[in-house]
Amino acid sequence: MAKGKVQKTTPKTDLEDVKPAARGNKTSKLAPKKPKPGLRPAAPLPAPPAKSWLWGTLTSIRFTVFLLLILAALAIVGTVIPQDQALGHYIRHYGEGLGMFLYRSGLTSMYYSPLFLIPITLLALNISACLVNGLPQALRRSLRRLTPEAAAALPERGHNYWPAGTDPHPAVEAVLKQELGRSRRETFQDKDLYFWEQGRFRPLGPYLVHLSLLLILAGGLIGKFWGVEGRLPLGEGQETDAFVLASREEQPLGFQVRLDKFQVSFYGKGQAPKEFRSDLTFLRDGKEVGQAVCRVNDPVTFGDYTLYQSSYGAQPAGPVVLQIKKDEITQTVEVPLRKMVDLPGGQAQVMAMQVQGDLEGYGPAVQLAIRSGAGHPQVLWVLKDHPQMTERIGPYQISAASLPFKWYSVFQVKYDPGVWWVYAGFILLLPGFFLAFFRPPQRWAVILEPTPRGWKGRLLGASPRSRDIFLARQNRILELLKKGTEQ
Amino acid sequence: MTGLLLGWVMLAYLAVGFLYLAGGLWDSPRLTRGAKWLFWTGLGVHSFALLARWWESYHMALGHTPVAGFAGMLQLIVLQAPLSNFYESLVFFAWCVPFLALVTFRRYMQGYLGTVVALLACIILAYASLGGVDSRIKPLMPALKSNWLLIHVVTCFLGYAAFTVGFGTALLYLKQSRRPTPSLPPAANLDHLIYQSTIIGFLFLTLGILTGAVWAESAWGRYWSWDPKETWSLITWFVYATLLHARLVKGWQGRRIAWLAVLGFAAVMFTYFGVSFLLTGLHSYL
Repeated sequence: MAKGKVQKTTPKTDLEDVKPAARGNKTSKLAPKKPKPGLRPAAPLPAPPAKSWLWGTLTSIRFTVFLLLILAALAIVGTVIPQDQALGHYIRHYGEGLGMFLYRSGLTSMYYSPLFLIPITLLALNISACLVNGLPQALRRSLRRLTPEAAAALPERGHNYWPAGTDPHPAVEAVLKQELGRSRRETFQDKDLYFWEQGRFRPLGPYLVHLSLLLILAGGLIGKFWGVEGRLPLGEGQETDAFVLASREEQPLGFQVRLDKFQVSFYGKGQAPKEFRSDLTFLRDGKEVGQAVCRVNDPVTFGDYTLYQSSYGAQPAGPVVLQIKKDEITQTVEVPLRKMVDLPGGQAQVMAMQVQGDLEGYGPAVQLAIRSGAGHPQVLWVLKDHPQMTERIGPYQISAASLPFKWYSVFQVKYDPGVWWVYAGFILLLPGFFLAFFRPPQRWAVILEPTPRGWKGRLLGASPRSRDIFLARQNRILELLKKGTEQ
Repeated sequence: MTGLLLGWVMLAYLAVGFLYLAGGLWDSPRLTRGAKWLFWTGLGVHSFALLARWWESYHMALGHTPVAGFAGMLQLIVLQAPLSNFYESLVFFAWCVPFLALVTFRRYMQGYLGTVVALLACIILAYASLGGVDSRIKPLMPALKSNWLLIHVVTCFLGYAAFTVGFGTALLYLKQSRRPTPSLPPAANLDHLIYQSTIIGFLFLTLGILTGAVWAESAWGRYWSWDPKETWSLITWFVYATLLHARLVKGWQGRRIAWLAVLGFAAVMFTYFGVSFLLTGLHSYL
């Protein structure tokens, strides 16, 4: 018998599901009183407060979707056009006219141009307006506990009979305890009423989510206006008290920092790099106050600033001395960087292009360009510790006798007071999502009333947002109640 | 060894697809049960292969990174999770799809829906195994040496997987709404499933973006760099946010939601493959 009832009364008929106010966060347009079909027609409805066109637009979901689409389209453009390159790059790639246009229009620095920032600002306004518009109502709804009156008015989902002479209370209590946990019990209109609710705070979920998005945007803004970001190149043994901003201005650190040592290690010769490591000493007024090791994924914070290992390199610390073997005669040639030097015999010239401290794990190396005759110069690496790996160039066998160099390390330096706002937003997102998606409101009630032939128990309940879970639970409760009577 | 195992897993998923299909067409609970059993078995072997690769790469790492103490060992184990290159991410992606489907949509996994999920998993695995993807274990580069690697990749791919399931469901829905077939699940169920998988995917994608941001902050000093991968994950996020708002606020259902799920999946695919192959950026290793 109970089965038939179950089939007939699915929670779909529930009022709350239809009521637009229960449908989500951006309720603005829908929330104001609409005449409910069941209401007496005689009662004149209070006129909805006149809303300005502006407020109506700001709080509308259409506006949100419109902005999201615009932002998505702009972001796509931003990923297709390489960002933040020099003007020359665009002219080379897109030609004079188009390259110039892209550069001027802000499309090449998309995410910081008004083109992008205006829709983002509007989105923030849109979200704020929706918060202002709907949060009070959501708060009120969340603070309203399930009352006996409201519980007794929930839609009926099934019923059960107990023969005269049995007391259904312990059985009902046991079933409710097993299925729902602790429920409240009260006498309502001379009947015994058990009721239980979950997910009362669900309406707050979407507002928490949107609030956290605002926090994240605010954090971005704070970082943009009050944050500082720049680069700090430091040679081994060098000390500095300032770094360079993107505008090429110097920014004082407020302390001094010295690079004691830089190391790069590889997984093996010719293999991928394993670690970049900078040993730093911090000083205040010339006195050492701290030491730290900075690695990729392992930044160092000192004072207001955080230093991130960003890049590295080697600087020649003197002229490169090459050993050149030709016809069993070995001669040494001093080669300054970027200067053409004649090779013995004068048939070719050599130029040192760059020095590397550790070329793929093979140790110090110098890159040479060698030109003989009118052809294109040949470019090759000469490894100091592995002379046998350099091929012969014409009659010459070249090796490096001396390759003085000094490591330097480049740090990204940053002070960003907005990060904590962003992280606060991240953290607030989690309870927001939990409430919004995983805490659907569920309300249950059982009304017990005596009948001439014993007791009748009616199961009431509603859960507009979780049909499946509700239905499964409904079936289980009815099943359990029925089993209780058969014993 | 794991390559061979994964080959078998791929065949198993293929067989699961056909078993589900046959079970649905002939209305045979026995075939469906068999499909389910084989699906779980395949997933078990798949999990074993993942763990074996993890073990292998941990032991390779021990060769060049000696560890001290239990904490050091634990640290190296976390770092060596097999999620550090394109091949490993594909294998993990292929694992996430059936895992999510079997765990969260247990009751719906039959007939065509089971077929679609199993075949999608099979296709991903086939691409990893046969698509010429470099499957060698490589030592970890400095940028990836972080505890965030594990959590970032896991959340992202669980999100991708949920969207993949939602995409399969949306295809079935579109087919069903055009020409209803009794052997397909009822449209209302499919619609509900699209929504459910979108919620799960959205949650994990959000977590993936958040963990990525926290990681970027500690690795590069910037929680957001507008790197193409980041930007495309945001675009994907926008698409699914639109879907959720359309559904929750405007009450959209049916075909429109299904099309949005398809569009969202296209964005996911571009975020995963398109960005890696067509654009350059910080995520070049994945």
